[in-house]
Amino acid sequence: MADTTELQIRDGSPADLAEAAELKATRSGSRASWREFAAAVIIVGFATLIALALRPYLAATNLAMVYLLGVVAVATRCNRPASVMASFLSVAAFDFFCVPPYLTLQVSEYEYLITFAGMLVVALVISAQTSRIRAQAARAVERESRTQALYRLSRRLSTKTRVFDTALAAAEVAEEVFGAPVTIFLPEEGRISFRKRTSDQLLISTAEEKIAQQVFDRGRKAGKGMENFPEAAATYVPLKGAGRMVGVLAILPGTHGQALHDDQHHLLDLFANQTALAIERTQSQNAAADARMQMETEEMRSSLLSAVSHDLRTPLASITGAASTLRSQGEKLEPAVRDELLESISEEALRLSRLVGNLLDMTRLESGMELRRDLYPLEEIVGAALQRMEPQLAGREVTATVPEDLPLVNVDDVLLGQVLVNLLENAAKYSPPGSAIEIAATATPAAVQLEVRDHGRGFAEGEEKRLFEKFYRGKSEGVRGAGLGLAICRAIVMAHRGTIEALHRDGGGAIFRIRLPLDGRPL
Amino acid sequence: MKPFVLMIEDDPQIRRFLRAALAAEDYQFHEAFTAEEGIAQAAARQPDLVLLDLGLPDRDGLEVIRGIRQWSQMPIVVLSARGQEKDKIAALDLGADDYVAKPFAVGELLARIRAALRRSARLATDGADTVIRFGDVQADFEKRSITVRGEEVHLTPNEFKLLQVLIKHAGRVVTQRQLLNEVWGPQHTEQSQYLRVYVAQLRRKLERDPARPRHLQTEPGVGYRLSLDHTDADS
Repeated sequence: MADTTELQIRDGSPADLAEAAELKATRSGSRASWREFAAAVIIVGFATLIALALRPYLAATNLAMVYLLGVVAVATRCNRPASVMASFLSVAAFDFFCVPPYLTLQVSEYEYLITFAGMLVVALVISAQTSRIRAQAARAVERESRTQALYRLSRRLSTKTRVFDTALAAAEVAEEVFGAPVTIFLPEEGRISFRKRTSDQLLISTAEEKIAQQVFDRGRKAGKGMENFPEAAATYVPLKGAGRMVGVLAILPGTHGQALHDDQHHLLDLFANQTALAIERTQSQNAAADARMQMETEEMRSSLLSAVSHDLRTPLASITGAASTLRSQGEKLEPAVRDELLESISEEALRLSRLVGNLLDMTRLESGMELRRDLYPLEEIVGAALQRMEPQLAGREVTATVPEDLPLVNVDDVLLGQVLVNLLENAAKYSPPGSAIEIAATATPAAVQLEVRDHGRGFAEGEEKRLFEKFYRGKSEGVRGAGLGLAICRAIVMAHRGTIEALHRDGGGAIFRIRLPLDGRPL
Repeated sequence: MKPFVLMIEDDPQIRRFLRAALAAEDYQFHEAFTAEEGIAQAAARQPDLVLLDLGLPDRDGLEVIRGIRQWSQMPIVVLSARGQEKDKIAALDLGADDYVAKPFAVGELLARIRAALRRSARLATDGADTVIRFGDVQADFEKRSITVRGEEVHLTPNEFKLLQVLIKHAGRVVTQRQLLNEVWGPQHTEQSQYLRVYVAQLRRKLERDPARPRHLQTEPGVGYRLSLDHTDADS
């Protein structure tokens, strides 16, 4: 949206464009004039041949018309000076070849002077008018291509969300439009950075680095074709945003080394303006997104803090309470009561240890810990997890079905083991004591699937996704936990490019299903 | 004679309960608070076993292992934090006998200490039993015969060697590197996949439920442990 307005403001002035087109017309006059003059001479010569052929049959004044046709031909094809020259040349040729005495510029009858005058005036008017029409047409074409170039630029830039991508897209469009290598330099901590540039095509010497920096500091163009540093290889254009400098565009003009033309400079300025505004817009959008993320992070941190402080304090309170009771009243207590208190101390300490372990795991996972992957038999990981969980699974029938021919899985064994331990812990917590738990592995050509199934109450409809969110606790009553176990599972499985989902079991209970890709590609 | 334990641990609270536990088991013990002191005391007092915390104030606990192993094979049991698999492996590869991850229950620690003392006593008398029994398995190394529930089981030479090494270190964790080195030789210490496949095969031949092994236990990220006495807990 912002781009459209920018475009209208920046290139909406027709006066600018007309001026540029005019400049182009004059410029092309001086550049290719010898060709145009030659064409004018040839056309006048051709008119003379026709006039000579017709001379026996027509009156001299009528032969003037042949020359006027020649002037029209010159005017439509060549520039103004050439057609003015053609006008004079035609009158001279008419005098020389068509007015007696032939082959001299002398005139026998003075009434021919009127013919000459009329002929000259008509020729000059024709050339003037035709030139104007040509200039207008050229202007229209110029405006069209310019508008198209700027439109292309704005469309390309509007889709970019990163500053560097925006600069890269702008440099690409500029290269297409100007047919010359373009590099955009972005600043880093207030200085033009040669690490943050869109291409390495421009091999810039140290001296030219200084030019780029100066252009950035002063906000004025410099380099080839400019007042400052005309000896430089490239032209440097400042990218001035609304508030500050956002970079420098460098263009290495022409493959033959000639400088940019005036109208190209004009277009380049428009380009630079639009690019600068787009970069600035991207920057401010990113800043807004960063701020939003920061806010979300803070919010998370505070919710984490409140959840964690509660979960840390509760077991600490039980431990402190039980221990102080034992100390102050130990002798008065029944042995059974003492045992109970001791048991609660060790249980709560274990709970605390698990919570701290989970928090550490989560933190490590979130800070992007590296997987130590290798090929493992799934059976071994399942076995180790069951062994670790043995005390908590006591009194339950736990079956593990892992087919012998299951392919090896490429995983971090410690982390995948942690997933299983968390799932088993979950199953033990949310299903009645003594109920069975099953682990089953199967393989498809692309993935290995592992399920942990329990016979508990399962989870509520609609909770399938939320279960894996951090600090989310299932709606079951009387179960305590920080809501981290499944979040850790998901983080680990995702780091392995696998999937994890919660399913309802027919007849009650929950199924947690992990799928791990065999070829390492995401499922 | 009461076994003599050197405890190298800087945390006073942990020392406190270790003291209580060791005294209750009738061990004699001495305490050291730093790595420096630990190495010196190990040399001076020649303990039967060293209990070593890896996080010491002056130097890395691993250096204590390195120091002691230069001149003694006395058993060293390491106390490490959970999740520090790299430290555990480093400690074991340097020659530590076993480790217990903090937080641990005292019962578990005492079991590890007992197992380590037993192993060292066995080594000292050089009386390695030729017949070993665990669970359903009876291994007779003299006859090179393995039976499970009385039936002869055929092991490939590598499987047999692997079992032999595990039995030699029975009760303690053996790192993958150590197993590969002892079974396949020092050139193959990186090929842990082979090892896992062989362990899996061995489990299928010896364990009732290979997915829930009673004896050929995995220590995730570290190595394997052959537990001889799991039968007692089972029955």
